[in-house]
Amino acid sequence: MAGEKRNREEEEVKTDDGSPKIKPRPIVRLGIFLIAHSPVFSVVFSAAGILALLLLPLLAKNTYISENALMPGSARSMLSNRDVSAGSKLVKDIKNFRLSHEGQGVEVQKLIGEYMSEMGAEVYYQKFHPEGNQFHPLHFFSGPDSYTLLDNVSCASYGVNVAGIIRAPRGDGKESIVLASDLLKCGELNTADNFRRAGTVAAALVLKVDGRSERFEDTLSIYAEASNGQMPNLDLINVVNYLAVHRQGFYVRVEKVVSLLSSSWLKIIGEIFEAVGKLAHTLNPDWNFGIPAADYLEGSATLASSLYSQALGIPTGPHGAFRDYQVDAITLKVSPRFPPDSKTRQHDFFLRGARLLEGTIRSVNNLLEKFHQSFFLYLLTSPSKFISVGVYMIAFALLVAPLPMVAASLYIDGCKALTNSTLNPAGNFKSWKWLDAAKQVFALHLLGFIVTLLPYFICQIPGQHSPRNRSIMWGTTSSSLLFITFATIPGCSPFSSRLHGTNWAVVKSVTISAAFIGLCLMSIINFATAEIGALLLVPTCLMAQPIKPALRSRKIKSLLGAFCSMVLLTIGFPVMFFAISKELLGEGLVGLSLGGEFWTWLESLWAWKSATYLYIGMVHLPCWLLCLCILFHPS
Amino acid sequence: MKEEKKDVGGDMAEKELQTPYGFWIWATASAILRLFFIFFPEYFKLSSRPEVSTPLTSLRRLAEAYWLKQSSMSPYAGSMYHGSPLLLSILGPLTSQRIKGHSSHQLCSLVFVIADILSAVLLRAIGQKLLKTYIMNLKQLGVLRSSQDRGILPCGDIAALVYLWNPFTILSCVGLSTSPIENFAVIVSLYGAVTRKIPLAAFGFIMATHLSLYPASLVVPLIFLLGSGLDAPPIKNFLQTRDRGVENGSTSDVSKQDKLTRTTQLPFLWRTVLHFVFWVLVWSIYVLVLCSLSLKQYGGLEEMFKRTYRFILSIEDLSPTIGVFWYLFAEVFDFARSYVLIVFNLYILLTSLPPLAFRLKHRPCFLAFVYLAISSILKSYPSVGDAALYLSLWALFVNELSDIDHLFFILCGSIGFSLLSPVMHNIWIWRGTGNANFYYANAMGYACFQFMFVGESVNAMLDHDQALNKATAKMTKN
Repeated sequence: MAGEKRNREEEEVKTDDGSPKIKPRPIVRLGIFLIAHSPVFSVVFSAAGILALLLLPLLAKNTYISENALMPGSARSMLSNRDVSAGSKLVKDIKNFRLSHEGQGVEVQKLIGEYMSEMGAEVYYQKFHPEGNQFHPLHFFSGPDSYTLLDNVSCASYGVNVAGIIRAPRGDGKESIVLASDLLKCGELNTADNFRRAGTVAAALVLKVDGRSERFEDTLSIYAEASNGQMPNLDLINVVNYLAVHRQGFYVRVEKVVSLLSSSWLKIIGEIFEAVGKLAHTLNPDWNFGIPAADYLEGSATLASSLYSQALGIPTGPHGAFRDYQVDAITLKVSPRFPPDSKTRQHDFFLRGARLLEGTIRSVNNLLEKFHQSFFLYLLTSPSKFISVGVYMIAFALLVAPLPMVAASLYIDGCKALTNSTLNPAGNFKSWKWLDAAKQVFALHLLGFIVTLLPYFICQIPGQHSPRNRSIMWGTTSSSLLFITFATIPGCSPFSSRLHGTNWAVVKSVTISAAFIGLCLMSIINFATAEIGALLLVPTCLMAQPIKPALRSRKIKSLLGAFCSMVLLTIGFPVMFFAISKELLGEGLVGLSLGGEFWTWLESLWAWKSATYLYIGMVHLPCWLLCLCILFHPS
Repeated sequence: MKEEKKDVGGDMAEKELQTPYGFWIWATASAILRLFFIFFPEYFKLSSRPEVSTPLTSLRRLAEAYWLKQSSMSPYAGSMYHGSPLLLSILGPLTSQRIKGHSSHQLCSLVFVIADILSAVLLRAIGQKLLKTYIMNLKQLGVLRSSQDRGILPCGDIAALVYLWNPFTILSCVGLSTSPIENFAVIVSLYGAVTRKIPLAAFGFIMATHLSLYPASLVVPLIFLLGSGLDAPPIKNFLQTRDRGVENGSTSDVSKQDKLTRTTQLPFLWRTVLHFVFWVLVWSIYVLVLCSLSLKQYGGLEEMFKRTYRFILSIEDLSPTIGVFWYLFAEVFDFARSYVLIVFNLYILLTSLPPLAFRLKHRPCFLAFVYLAISSILKSYPSVGDAALYLSLWALFVNELSDIDHLFFILCGSIGFSLLSPVMHNIWIWRGTGNANFYYANAMGYACFQFMFVGESVNAMLDHDQALNKATAKMTKN
């Protein structure tokens, strides 16, 4: 038939790129070139992506205060020793009060309130109910809830916040400082919610005082990560860091993964980079990108911690509640080095801490609008070094770049194979060959969606269940659903006969496309999750291929490929990855306790509506299952 | 992920429709899904999404207008409502009623569900009619020997199921947007024209134009439909076959009969068209009288034209939508505004409508799809409901468009951009880490893929005609 001939003609035009008659545009030719050599390029791009990730600590820039109006440290401090003595008195009073009223913690708020009103502040007491851990993963897109507070809460348990507002006496009444002390853990969200109603809040600082510093100096730890990898404006961290280091002499630190500091492979990489940097410097004195290996190690450990806490999507401190209301907030943990009973040291520490706070507040007060000048999307490698979005995106882009190329090349191959095979009944429907594969991919994504929502229903089951039991319930329901899917939709199953099964290349192509879309979406929601997810998912997807032909052929190369894909799939299973990362952190878990731990971990993700959970359930798990299907494909 | 549903739905249709009740099972399932969404609205909060409800289609605005009207104020006061006064009179009372224990607007949602089901049924009827003509034409051309020769898909059922299962349709149905009603009016007019029920076609056309203005462009395909019949390959193909028939002598009596009917259909039926124009006039006068009665105390028709059609054409509301105009008109300098406005409105009118009308005049239903698609991309306040309509009309041509290029790529891109839209909105509105540019970039990407989709479809259709032409030419030679 003429139609078929036309098909063939078209395919010929497509495959032979150097056709002299119709010379495609350079960009099309480049695309065809990339697709034609996709295996080579995928290896090159993935390797470049990982290398770029390792290079990130080198590419970190020094922070600078982007908003000129902030002018930190320019104001003369108004705090005197008398204020500090008053502060010490308050501490002493609270201590005595606690001693005399053992077990009646609520009354402390009253005492603080009295102090506040003596200072001339308006004092408010706010009652709140601790909120249960409700499962609302889909509320990620809708912004903060406003109606959940009125749900049936037993009135027996409530906490009290005390808030004082100090208004500018001679100003225009818009500026004010709100001091709040919440002594119950659950108060964070409510406080933030209340502040939102009060008006625009420029910045929020949450103070924590720790027992004792491990170092010789007074230490200030900055915790900045809020829910879903959101960060406060970099200027806020800059101001605090600048004042703490240059004015008050604190040692400022941010979290780092301690175990990485002693890892030898990272040290070797750092030394290699150092050597390369030195070499480059000798070649051209203007090339100064090399940093000492020790700095590289520190930077990588901090970067890893920054990536990890952003990827989890759980705030690292109480400041997390503010970021959901677009208030830039950080938690400051101060650890003094003095022993608790040293009077003069305590006085000095108080003075410096108070001056730091005063300086920050006065600097922020210089702003006429909210923070907007500096970065919102960045990763920290030290308190004074950051990697901006434009740099760290490169690593991710390189990592996921092979996906569309491989998808296109597999798609072309698979369609050709389908055209040649006589099994396909709708041979004429050239553009619909992917439909069976799309059906399979869609079915598994739908399954992933249902599995993601299952915990909501499991939480509704009456009665007390331990996390372990709940995870068992979840696991059994999910796997039975999976088997039902395999049984009802014949094309889906890896165990189906060869006749029903679709061409694995097309399935892989559609899977890779789905993974690519999912990863790109996630990179915008939460970059760090996408980066870590891509490190797991990209090799898994690229390596996935049927294991049967590899075993049959008995060639070392194909056997090695099959082995690699099996290892990657084993690591890629979310629970397994969780266990491995726990193992790396030194908490060995086996068997059922792992399930319980996993459930508890997921609960912590739900509490902050972490999109990471959605990613695991709706992108990672389906793609993982699809790769498994490809691995056991009966071809 | 979600959008894949539509194609999978179509595919399942293909399999399931071998059983006679397959279609109805799937249709009922889609209705149940809609009811589920309607009765648990608090989990979804779709009615405030810019993708779903626009200033023109938002039911919340309609409820507000109804309240204003109840308190003896003009429903158009305060630039809240910009829809039809007739729709207000019909849906308004339903917005204030509520079923016990449930939130309001559910009755309206039920109306939308019914509208969706009816649209699907009409689409199915259109598809069956088109399929019949398609098979007949292929037989006439001698390309098709028996109906089992080439897997011909039941395009009516597929289109109906694509309409019912398209996530965009479901979103606009349960998201308190009036687009199901607008889509229904468009489909009614097409159905009327396809089945040659001229008053019905004119009624649907007038209602659709009255509700959202842009379906006015459908006048061209409707006239072609009524004047020269359903979609068919270009006439020259038939002339070739006729010549062949004359040269070789007739092959069979049946095909000769077909040819004769076909050749008698060739002249343009001006009488039918005039009949249509007459009914259009009747219905438009009827609608205008009803509107003026409804708005008697509130400024009459002039107010209505100002608040609805002028609002649409002059793009007064610049709140973000998935369209491409809000950002442009928010950024444009005031002195250039009227110029840009004229340019953009003329752009739709002049560059896309007449050339396509000349090129695709032998395929009026497909022309209607192209017009609706282009207007849904370039209209001032687009929503996903418009996309739902043209996607289901597209599915009417699955047989003709089986060779469409890059469909998988376009599908992936559209899914990506559709899912990206709420994310961009979130990081702009809630997180504050993005800005309007992010959302607009997404809207442009989405529009780009829509354009590619329309372009590829038109190409595939023209290629299909050409292939038929070649096939017939070859046969004539033999």
